[in-house]
Amino acid sequence: MAFEELEHTADVRMRISSPDLPSLFSESGFALAKTLYGPYHFEKPAYSFPIEAEGKDPEELMVNFLSELLFLFETEYLVPQKFTLSVGNSVSGTVEGVLFDRAKHAGGIGVKGISYSGLSLTKTETGYELIIIFDI
Amino acid sequence: MNSQIQQITKTEWEIPMGFVPGMRVPGRFFLSENLAKNIEDGALTQLANVATLPGIIRYSFGMPDIHWGYGFPIGGVAAFNAETGIISPGGVGFDINCGVRMITTPLHISDIPDMKGLIENLFDAVPTGVGSKSPIRLSQSDLLLMLEEGAKNAVDMGYGMAGDIHHCEENGAMKGALPEHVSKKARQRGIPQCGTLGSGNHFLEVQVIDDIVDEATAKTFGVSEGQICVMIHCGSRGLGHQVCTDHLQILESATKKYGIELPDRQLACAPLSSPEGEAYFGAMAASANYAWANRQIITHIVRELFVKKFGISYEDMPLIYDVAHNVAKWEEHDVDGVRQTVCVHRKGATRAFGPGRIEIPQEYRSCGQPVLIPGSMGTPSYLLAGTQGAMEKTFGSTCHGSGRVQSRSSAKKSQTGEEVAAALLKRGIIVRAPNQAAIAEEAPEVYKSSSEVVQTVHDAGISRIVARLRPLGVIKG
Repeated sequence: MAFEELEHTADVRMRISSPDLPSLFSESGFALAKTLYGPYHFEKPAYSFPIEAEGKDPEELMVNFLSELLFLFETEYLVPQKFTLSVGNSVSGTVEGVLFDRAKHAGGIGVKGISYSGLSLTKTETGYELIIIFDI
Repeated sequence: MNSQIQQITKTEWEIPMGFVPGMRVPGRFFLSENLAKNIEDGALTQLANVATLPGIIRYSFGMPDIHWGYGFPIGGVAAFNAETGIISPGGVGFDINCGVRMITTPLHISDIPDMKGLIENLFDAVPTGVGSKSPIRLSQSDLLLMLEEGAKNAVDMGYGMAGDIHHCEENGAMKGALPEHVSKKARQRGIPQCGTLGSGNHFLEVQVIDDIVDEATAKTFGVSEGQICVMIHCGSRGLGHQVCTDHLQILESATKKYGIELPDRQLACAPLSSPEGEAYFGAMAASANYAWANRQIITHIVRELFVKKFGISYEDMPLIYDVAHNVAKWEEHDVDGVRQTVCVHRKGATRAFGPGRIEIPQEYRSCGQPVLIPGSMGTPSYLLAGTQGAMEKTFGSTCHGSGRVQSRSSAKKSQTGEEVAAALLKRGIIVRAPNQAAIAEEAPEVYKSSSEVVQTVHDAGISRIVARLRPLGVIKG
């Protein structure tokens, strides 16, 4: 698995690893979605939404990207299945998914915000690693 | 405990100046000697970091439920000077006006033979958990009115009684709300979520008053032993979360613009008198008002269910009180003998005004403000009263709950939701949640003992115990 939950007293702290930046952003999106919805199986996407975010540095870009996603999840009841992203000084692309279904996606917990607390996005020998806290 | 911390009394501790560079005042926190054994270093550093903020008055305070949070620790309280002070979303939290209210009923345990059925009915009636939708359809203009009028707006729409409004802190609506600073995105999140409980530590609990500690005050508050009550814990939902996210971005730039040096990016802030500070205050107040309306609508759903199920009258379920946990407010306090208007940040803390304050409803005023402290799932909740001690020591503040001690991930590893629910059922407590993980993550063992936290604020003199409430059934988001 490209992400794992780490210890944190009150919130959800995640470590996400990926070989390149676009996949780091996609995996982080899935980490957020699986926090919200619990584990879920892949389904053929039925809806597609554009997504864009900006930031002054990679960390801020990630926080803003995940905040945008959270907004999309909550207002469109979207459960993501596929991300197509290009990442540079900004991030843009699409997120495809299915509609929230209580029978399949009620295994998680609401996320209130994406935290800067203990945030790190680093380049490793094998790619990139993100440590991030979801405030719940 | 860190060796630099000084013990002042049995329940009071000080973080000295210099604990982190740039402290303007010392830190003060309230813990029993037993609770002090497990204080997190991260929470102490956060408490000290708050003490570096411009315009902070007297101390950076920590309540006994203190733990590591975002910017401020949870359980953090700080008052700021109107001219020189700042306002920070990190001192309020993502869930603006997360709070608690309690209604009483004329019922006793013997009137509810099927508690499981009642909890199922409540779970079906109150939208709960991720993906739940509002039972009402708000238009954009309805929402704008709600952001200005709070609980009153909900009552005007038919969700409650006129008397409810006066039993909310701030009469259920903070002055100074500026809906124009609540972004379109925040409003988009707010419309479908109004009247929903949310998830995480939010809950709706059926309780019985099982011990009265102060008979006279209990009588004044209108509660008696054996009475069935309902406690509701939730906040401003996605609307408040989005307001926090939006304004953190704005205030991050403002921090640089005004040359404020911060030890931690999460304390992003702006002078109270700056346009950015005023915009955040206005948006926060609007979100707080939304939260009061939200709790009011849920209260109405509960009352209607009880009317239908038990044949009791709607009017026989009065709101005892409603308190805010995550908020920054303008309040008058005596500072060095001079009455001043200061901005008090409470982040996972409760206002606990002492007897005589005009903010307290007249019928309660001689006793002090009712303070509601929810227990964790399965542990008692408490009704307390505010004290003069709180006015003198903590800008009229006390704890807000139990405070976590175990992480969600390790909670899930140690017990399954089914095991937690079965253990609670053995003690006569029924739990209902959308999924079992939500139950495991909120097991009673992951929190400090609510009784110990409440005893600490009682012993420290910053509030006093009036009654204890035992849980019978709970729905969790």
